[in-house]
Amino acid sequence: MQTALYEIHKDLGAKLVEFHGWEMPIHYQGIIHEHQVVRQQVGLFDVSHMGRIFIEGEDALALLDFLSTNDLSDKQDGTATYTVWCAENGTCVDDLIVYQENPKKFFVIVNAGNREKDLLHLQHYAKDFQVVITDRFREDGILALQGPHAEKVLSQLFPEVVQLKHMQFLNVFDEGLTITIARTGYTGSDGFEIYAAHSAIVKLWKALLEKGKAYGIEPIGLGARNTLRLEMGYALYGHELSDTIAVTESVSAWTVKWHKSNFLGKAALQSLKQSQHCRHEYGITLIGKGIAREGYPVFQNGKEIGYVTSGTQSPTLNQAIAIILVEAKLQKGDLVEVQIRQDLCPAKVVALPFVRL
Amino acid sequence: MKMKYTETHEWVSVKDSTGTVGITLFAQKELGDIVYVELPKVGKHVKKGEEAVVLESTKAAADVYSPVSGTITEVNTLLNQTPELVNQDPERGGWLFKLSLSNEKELDELADDRLH
Repeated sequence: MQTALYEIHKDLGAKLVEFHGWEMPIHYQGIIHEHQVVRQQVGLFDVSHMGRIFIEGEDALALLDFLSTNDLSDKQDGTATYTVWCAENGTCVDDLIVYQENPKKFFVIVNAGNREKDLLHLQHYAKDFQVVITDRFREDGILALQGPHAEKVLSQLFPEVVQLKHMQFLNVFDEGLTITIARTGYTGSDGFEIYAAHSAIVKLWKALLEKGKAYGIEPIGLGARNTLRLEMGYALYGHELSDTIAVTESVSAWTVKWHKSNFLGKAALQSLKQSQHCRHEYGITLIGKGIAREGYPVFQNGKEIGYVTSGTQSPTLNQAIAIILVEAKLQKGDLVEVQIRQDLCPAKVVALPFVRL
Repeated sequence: MKMKYTETHEWVSVKDSTGTVGITLFAQKELGDIVYVELPKVGKHVKKGEEAVVLESTKAAADVYSPVSGTITEVNTLLNQTPELVNQDPERGGWLFKLSLSNEKELDELADDRLH
C-alpha cells in the first residue's frame, strides 16, 4: 500500500522500504542527518500508514476507558491521552493515543501494523456499549511536524496552534475540510501531528516544506523516527510491547492506573504483580564499542536474564543505547552484558529517557 | 592493478599478490550511515566467502565477506575514529583491509564489472 504522498517521496529521492504492508520512506538524505535536523531545526514526517478510528455515542467514554490502562475520565475536551490496550491476559494489543473532542466523540490513532486488529478489538467489546465506530483508514492521512522550530512553521499556516499545550488538540477548517492538529509526537522534541483527508494532507505537506525553508525544514523518514523515539525510551509495538509482553513489564507500565475500578486485563495484571516471574524493561548504554540489537541475549553474572528489545547508535549521544526485557529487578548503575555475535559486551543500566531535551 | 567484484558488492584490488578489499558505492548506499566498523585482526586467515568485517549502521549489522582467501596484513584503523569514511569514499579511502592472497586463481571466479 502507498500513502497519498508516495510519488512525492520518490521525487524527493526517498529510499523506500516495505513496512507492515506499506511502501514508506526510510530516509531521504540519511538517518543520522535527518535525526539531527529534527533535534536542531524541524522535520516533516508522512505517517499516513497509521490509522484513525472514530468512536462516538452515549457510551464512547465508558468503552474507551474500559479498554485502556490509562484513566480517560475527567479530561477536558481537546485533550489527548497516551494509553495501552490490553487483552484479558494483560498482554498488549496496541499502544495508542485517545483524543477527546467531547465525552461522546473520540478518535484514536493506532499503529499501522495493528489497524485491522484494533478495529476488530473495538468492535468486539463495543457489543455491550452504545457507540458507533467509524474507521478513516481509506480517507485520512497523517503528518508529523517535529523539532524546536515546529511552532514557528505551523503558526504561519494556522496561528491558533500557539495556544496548544502539549497533549492538546484543536480543529481548523480549510476549504470545507476539517484539519485536526495535536501537540503530540513520537520524537520527544516539540511538535505537532496533523490529521486530515488525503487531499488536505498533500496540500499541507507542500505548504509546510515551503513555509519551513527559512527554518531548515526537511522531510524525515522512518529510520530517524526510530532513533528519535528510542532516545526518549518510547515503546515501539512489536518490540517493547507485544501480545507476549504484559503492559506492567514494559516501559509503558506507567499508563496503568490501578485506582480504576476496572479495565480489560486488570485482573490478570494484578496476579502477575504477585508472581515471581515478572519481567521488566530497562534502558542500557553500551560501555565501549559495539551496538546492541533487537534479539541479542542479555546476561548478568554469567546468567542469561533476557534480551534486547530495541537498540541503535544514538546520534545525539554518539553512543549505543538499547532497551532490554529481563527477568531480574535492576537498578540504575547495574552492569549487564549483551552478547554481540561472539563477544559479551558490558553495558550499564540507565534511567530513561536516554536524552533529556 | 586488477579490480574485481563479488556478487555481494565487495571489491578487491590486487597488486603483487596483495589485495585491498572494500565495499562498493552501491553497498554503502544500501547500508545507510555506518557508525561502527568491526575490523579483523592482522594475521587472521580468511577463506574466500568468509565473513571478515562487520559494518554496523543505525539500522542493522552487515557482514562483509572476503572475496579471496589469504592472510590479513593490514586494516584501515582510520575507520575506528571515522567510520563514516566507508559511506563517503567506499572504493578508495574507505578500504577495509589488505591481505596476501593464498590462491590467485580465485580472482578468475570474480566479476570484472560491478553488479550495479
